[in-house]
Amino acid sequence: MSSLNNFTPTGPTQREETLSVHSQAESLRGATEAPFRRAKPAAAREMLKDVGLRVGSIVALVFAWWVTSLFFPPTLVPRPWDTFAEVSAIVSTGNFFIEMGSTLRRVLVGFGIAMVVSIPLGILMGTLRSLESFFEPPVILGLTMPGLIWAVLMIMFFGLTETSAYAAVAVTIFPMLAISIWQGTKAIDKDLIDMSEVFHASAWSKVVDVILPQLVSHLLAAIRYGLGLAWKVVVVVEMFGFSNGVGYQVVRGFNVFSMKTVLAWAITFLVVMIVIEFGFIGWLERSVTRWRPRVEAWRR
Amino acid sequence: MAYVHVEQAVKSFPREDGTDMLVLGGVSFDAKERGITCLLGPSGCGKSTLLNVIARLERLDQGYVEIVSNHGESGTRLPQLGYVFQDPRLLNWKRVEENLIFALRGMDVPRRQWDERIHTYLGLVGLLEFRKQYPLYLSGGMRQRVGLARALVIEPDILLMDEPFSKLDQLTARKLREDTLEICARLQQTALLVTHDVEEAAYMGDRIVIFSARPAHIVEVLDNPFSPLERDLDDVRFIQFKKQLLQTVLNLVKEKEEA
Repeated sequence: MSSLNNFTPTGPTQREETLSVHSQAESLRGATEAPFRRAKPAAAREMLKDVGLRVGSIVALVFAWWVTSLFFPPTLVPRPWDTFAEVSAIVSTGNFFIEMGSTLRRVLVGFGIAMVVSIPLGILMGTLRSLESFFEPPVILGLTMPGLIWAVLMIMFFGLTETSAYAAVAVTIFPMLAISIWQGTKAIDKDLIDMSEVFHASAWSKVVDVILPQLVSHLLAAIRYGLGLAWKVVVVVEMFGFSNGVGYQVVRGFNVFSMKTVLAWAITFLVVMIVIEFGFIGWLERSVTRWRPRVEAWRR
Repeated sequence: MAYVHVEQAVKSFPREDGTDMLVLGGVSFDAKERGITCLLGPSGCGKSTLLNVIARLERLDQGYVEIVSNHGESGTRLPQLGYVFQDPRLLNWKRVEENLIFALRGMDVPRRQWDERIHTYLGLVGLLEFRKQYPLYLSGGMRQRVGLARALVIEPDILLMDEPFSKLDQLTARKLREDTLEICARLQQTALLVTHDVEEAAYMGDRIVIFSARPAHIVEVLDNPFSPLERDLDDVRFIQFKKQLLQTVLNLVKEKEEA
């Protein structure tokens, strides 16, 4: 209401003034209304520097490994290149694809089961107070239970079958997935739900167009942590007596006390994880968050 | 076109301590057909609650809201409402045109009309070239325009606007007010605009309904002596009218304080 003061000209001179204010307003508006440009890909030089830093970090790590290996016998700390040669041997025999395939399958199946259960449960817990109270204790308890114990329990129950691997993975990561979806659902913008009601959106459209997109970032974070946890559990399960999978190969290396074999399998494992993390999940994230401008001005 | 009649609307909300807080204390008025009716009153007086009642997001305790739409020869059907919120409330993960489609689909507009409708109403708010853009790449003023287009694209019987300019900077708001006024005049749109800004009410309202502080009742209903095209913010006579309106509202506040 104080803005009224600006609009009380009485004489012709003042009137001219307000007119000029108006034209100024127009030009200023042009400035403020200019749309944000999509963040341009960082300049090529910046990108090169970035890649350089990443590669440099890995080279430094290998260098530190090499220096360490000078002080120990190769049975305790094998030389980096001997280990890399072992890696290439594992990969070239085709052994790698079979073992890694089994491990990946166990992770993905367990992960899928956990997802299918936790998404609806998380959404329900976030929307219905009674379900929240009912399911909160088991979910929190499940979160505190170490994956190793789940692995033991599942193997005792299902025996040494694929089912026990799937179950161990699913049960271990399920609480974490459920918690992030539950919290994400609670944080949903109620105003958008009102909006969708005003425009008579169907229940399906409310879930698909309004609710799920708001859960995407929670889901992605959950998938990242979940996968990290799943790898750890699956290796433990395989160590208990499976006759294939990366965990089994590591145990075999342990039994003949070959540090080289153990490390070589660990490295192949890391490479696969990095490909999944940066390749697949990174791609997934970019494609589902394309609508969000990248603002990184505060970073150096 | 449609007409809106509010009769003895009473609404209260439960307070934390269990007692009821009366928000609307028996409000009655008629909206102006084919024009903008401004609901003017102090912040928190219940104007927005009334708008939500009209939008069927809330229910009245007593009284009723009557909305009648007469669609030419085809007779009457359920009236359709377009809502422009204080924040744009867009689905930021959908492109501008998909946000309009969200409303079109919800309101069961036949698919073959979508393209033409989107073209028409995005053009009307001046955002045709941003059709494929995501909302977060637009400025605040432009996002609010998308909100306006989304409300208009369903060709509503009544357009409801809840302080749509209050979160914008003064200059952007001023331009958007001008454009909204022009668009509503051109479409002969029946509209309700909630505002606490006296100047905005004088500029936008063909009819101005003045609310008291909570519990709200209606103090005065007056028709704007200026037609939309005559409302020149720099015209001395119009300024006079604004002053008069401001005085009325100020007196009201004073009476309230004395009481």
